[in-house]
Amino acid sequence: MPGRAGDRAGRVTVTGLSKRFGQVSAVDGLTFTVEPGAVTGFLGPNGSGKTTTLRMVLGLVTPTAGEARINGVPFAELANPARVVGAVLEAQGFHPARTARKHLLTVSAAIGVPDAAVESVLHTVGLTDAGDRAVGGYSLGMRQRLALAVALLGDPQVLVLDEPGNGLDPEGIAWLRAFLRGFARQGRSVLVSSHLLAEVEQTADHLVVISRGRCVFQGPLENLRNSRRPRVLVRCGSHERLADALARTGVVEIDTLPDGWLGIAGTDPVHVGDVALEAGVAIYGMVHEKIDLEQLFFQLTAEPWQVR
Amino acid sequence: MVGLLHAEVRKTASTRLWWGLLIPVALLSVLINLFGGLFTAAIPDEDGRLPLLLASLAYAMGLTAIFGLVHGVVGAAAEFRHRTITTTYLTSARRWPVLVAKMSVSAAVGAFYALVTAVVGVLAGLAGEAGAAFPSFGSLLAVTLIGMLAAALWGALGAALGTAVSNQVSALVGALVYVLLGEFLLSVLLGNAESVDVQRLTAFLPVNGGEIALYDLPAQVLAGPELGPAVVEALAGVTSPPPWWGGLLVLAAWTGAVAATAWVIAERRDVT
Repeated sequence: MPGRAGDRAGRVTVTGLSKRFGQVSAVDGLTFTVEPGAVTGFLGPNGSGKTTTLRMVLGLVTPTAGEARINGVPFAELANPARVVGAVLEAQGFHPARTARKHLLTVSAAIGVPDAAVESVLHTVGLTDAGDRAVGGYSLGMRQRLALAVALLGDPQVLVLDEPGNGLDPEGIAWLRAFLRGFARQGRSVLVSSHLLAEVEQTADHLVVISRGRCVFQGPLENLRNSRRPRVLVRCGSHERLADALARTGVVEIDTLPDGWLGIAGTDPVHVGDVALEAGVAIYGMVHEKIDLEQLFFQLTAEPWQVR
Repeated sequence: MVGLLHAEVRKTASTRLWWGLLIPVALLSVLINLFGGLFTAAIPDEDGRLPLLLASLAYAMGLTAIFGLVHGVVGAAAEFRHRTITTTYLTSARRWPVLVAKMSVSAAVGAFYALVTAVVGVLAGLAGEAGAAFPSFGSLLAVTLIGMLAAALWGALGAALGTAVSNQVSALVGALVYVLLGEFLLSVLLGNAESVDVQRLTAFLPVNGGEIALYDLPAQVLAGPELGPAVVEALAGVTSPPPWWGGLLVLAAWTGAVAATAWVIAERRDVT
């Protein structure tokens, strides 16, 4: 964004953030950073504390401990918050009798942007023609679009979205992905939550994964993918002879799995097959184990199936 | 702050609430002032020259103030009911300016209701009380301005109450039960106490304060400066009423108290 001075523009820092609702600990010592110029995916199962965290970042919920800062200051100290951060939250509502255009005009008045900006954001989200309809008659997807229009009205540096995919049709989701990537490419920050890895996998550059209010993974998406290397799983006549033969070709990451299969990392099925043929080891079965991020995500966030 | 005020004006103008309440306000003013109000029979009218319109106008103003209160309560609590409060709070770093803006705009709506009550009431009075003496312009203006102040305070109090309670139905029912019944029962209880000091407390309740402010001048014009306070005592159900400005101060103090409560609650509330 031209004219936005300072290298801290758009950075969100969360430090030791905690929230207790009575006896329930919703968020527990969360620390992460949202960098400008990238899309940060905020992942966790339903009820893991995502919404509470986002609402604390936005000053809507008061933390029990820790703090969240946007551009180096808490939300309550931002001069004109809507010009810095825009948010699409789940429980964000609209007066059913108010039209989308008039709803946006109340926000444009509050944050001091010209009324022409209302037409611009309506156009951006594709609601120009539906703008004079009462929001009570809107579909869930249209409401999500309107919520995004509200968030964009202040031309913010930071965009916070809580499960924006809910209610959007596949076309809308694809549009949103492209939009968020474009937004981040302009040097702005995006923090987008989801309970589905697949939903942010194609959009996010950086991931923050939480489970039960605690951070279980944080870093580039690549790091998560590389945290488990692809393996070739083999059932064969002799584990020892195959392992020896593979070791001679430089493949040494070999484990015997509990079910009797051999797990070989750092190679591919063709090489394993060739080596086995040469060594005269019979192969009874071979599987190329793909890295399934979703599976990894489940393992990271696995929790006993019980109500806390 | 200017932006938040502008936003509240647009919020108010973009739903039906304000004119939906204006219709009964105007109709009631027409009815009450056309027939001289409930006071016609209560006040001795020996020569038929008493400017009763002043009293009926004051009575209509009292009812108008309730509509100002309802507008404030419903408008402020609607933000919580429809969950627009999230968006509203995202447009302001702090929450108190939102409360101040809401109270200001609700006060303006209340004052506007009172102004309409006065204009419509005087027109109805001209049509219905042609035979009676017409009040002086100065006294009509005084009752109008006092009525506007009272309705403005009730509007502001309503917006603060709606913010503090946040549940629209609870806030509205609570406010109406208190204004229409609760304070009357409280006044009877206090008024029947042994101690005169306790009886005097009746004048320090919000509804009574507003009624004292409205009835003071008409009572003085109709019953004379000596009997005036007694008429106010009878009409408002209070003991030793202060003058009209004292009544307004009582109402303003209650408005301030509710606003302070709303301020504290709003700043601490988690918007989930």
